[in-house]
Amino acid sequence: MSAGASDMAPSGPRGPGWRMRLTPWLLMSPALLIAIAFFGLPIAFMGRMSFNEHVDQRFYVPGFTFDNYAAMLTDPTFSAALWTTMRLALISSIVTVAIGYVFAMLVWLKPKRWRLAFIALALCPLLISEISIIFGWWMFFPKNGLLSYALVSSGLITDKISLMYTEFAAFVGLTYVTLPFCFFILLSIFDGIDKKVLEASADLGGSPVRTFYEVLLPLTKGGIAASFAQSFIWAVGTYATPSALGPDTLWTIGYLIQEQMLGKHNWPRAAAFSIVLTSGVAVVMMIIRMLASKRTALNG
Amino acid sequence: MADTNALELDGLRRAFGGVVAVDNVSVDVRRGEFVTLLGPSGSGKTSTLRLIGGFERPDAGAIRINGSRVDHLPAYQRDTTTIFQTGALFPHKTVAENVAYGLRMRGVAKADIAPRVRQALEVVRLSGYEERYPAQLSGGQKQRVALARSMVVRPTILLFDEPLSALDLSLRLQLRAEIRRLHDEIGFSAIYVTHDQGEAMAMSSRVAVMRSGRIEQIDRPEKVFAEPASEFVYTFIGESCCLRAQVSAGAAADSAGAPLELRLAQPLGEGAWRIYIRPSRLHLGRADMPNGLKARLDFTEFLGDVHRYHFKAGKLELFVDHPGAVVHKPGDAVDIGWQTADMVAYQ
Repeated sequence: MSAGASDMAPSGPRGPGWRMRLTPWLLMSPALLIAIAFFGLPIAFMGRMSFNEHVDQRFYVPGFTFDNYAAMLTDPTFSAALWTTMRLALISSIVTVAIGYVFAMLVWLKPKRWRLAFIALALCPLLISEISIIFGWWMFFPKNGLLSYALVSSGLITDKISLMYTEFAAFVGLTYVTLPFCFFILLSIFDGIDKKVLEASADLGGSPVRTFYEVLLPLTKGGIAASFAQSFIWAVGTYATPSALGPDTLWTIGYLIQEQMLGKHNWPRAAAFSIVLTSGVAVVMMIIRMLASKRTALNG
Repeated sequence: MADTNALELDGLRRAFGGVVAVDNVSVDVRRGEFVTLLGPSGSGKTSTLRLIGGFERPDAGAIRINGSRVDHLPAYQRDTTTIFQTGALFPHKTVAENVAYGLRMRGVAKADIAPRVRQALEVVRLSGYEERYPAQLSGGQKQRVALARSMVVRPTILLFDEPLSALDLSLRLQLRAEIRRLHDEIGFSAIYVTHDQGEAMAMSSRVAVMRSGRIEQIDRPEKVFAEPASEFVYTFIGESCCLRAQVSAGAAADSAGAPLELRLAQPLGEGAWRIYIRPSRLHLGRADMPNGLKARLDFTEFLGDVHRYHFKAGKLELFVDHPGAVVHKPGDAVDIGWQTADMVAYQ
């Protein structure tokens, strides 16, 4: 994959060398065009929007100001929301990856006949819209909800409790939504591993725990990074689940953007928030990619 | 310790669902012995190996390594190492790290690991490949790393699970000779599973021929070839022609009832017989030999050292390997003769 144009180009005179250098770009051009049209342009528009000015009764007026970015530095609501979002996304992603890892490993290790049932189970949340899932949790967490009834009738607690509108409910909701993505990413990584290496490790004297740390974990490192990134991006960006299940004070950046956009009709401010959020996610992605070593890239 | 066997299998049995994969298998492997389990696929040879390695648990019977019972121990606590069919190298570890793995797991002192790894790679002729990853090796090199990785821990018994069957022919022959050389030099004890009788004959101290989970015969390769204990062993080891003859009132007929011109020095009793002879022990144009059959030449094949003559006699088909130029034409009726000692007959 790293074989660039210069590696392939013969060291001959100008003419063919130029063509060789152009070929990879020409081959990439359809994909590049799509990426620019569908991802590059919207972000460019959003970037431009974030420098516009805002007056009452108008979404925006064209202009060039850094006010929207400056507001973020001075506004305690924004920094609090940034912190809340990161914390929520980080914890729920770690929990999601942990659960998804165990789940994917079991599906990989169990006999084939279990596989389809597990996969169907993991697909279920993907078939339902986020809003429907939220309604589901509304029947699960409140005082008269399923959870409360289950805990009381099993004798674990004596009084009905409500976990609705708590940070815990927001965590559970986020984890539930991102779990299937993590599961499928990790399962595809596990499926690429020859199960015989586990036997080889045991055969050479590696206990199950050492086999996990020496063989399985290094071989799935890339998958852990990818599924963590997937889950983190989703958790950072989504606003419906945390704001519908969490407490009123749980202000995430997603919620703030929504509020600026739909509530206060301040498009430039919403765009500036979004740019910061997008850049933050990009930085996290780059860190994750750097942490996932080259060795994993080489041996997949 | 010197007088105990490296490995003893005593009445091993393992069933999967209703299928008995390993049925009352008993084998002793003496120290330094190279025993091959030979059989067609599904004969239980790999299942037997997996029982020894600890990847499956026996339903009944005992496994003893160095005289002590191990069948309750998990794989990682048994003094065996396996060379897998696919190598099963750790793809994220270098060659040196792969070979060092077993030493590290067994708690060998750090200072001793590097020289032992170096020596093991020297033995399999892969010095200089320490820092490569498995993905950068050819199939034969991978298997040699697997061999080094398993041998370096000096287990009581090495287990080979068809390690050469995924390689092409010339590499197979080369590695086969190399494993043989290592065995002669180092004198490890081994169980080698294969369906390739050539491998079994070339490498083994003793061959155990397996069929449907049972051992049909276990003996030195020469003995198994010369004196097969059963019809199955006879047909599985080496090539053979099978003459199916119906004998009644002293006359032989083929399966359709057409009479055969079959002469036998020792007449067979009434009934359906299967007479086996090796194609190299059949002689062309020899009506003077104690046993004989008149058959019609169908076609010939050139095999290099010999021509293979395919004959038909009624419903019977047989072939004869004969050196020298082809003298018969298709359609010719030819006398085929053989010595009484070269044939076996089963009813």
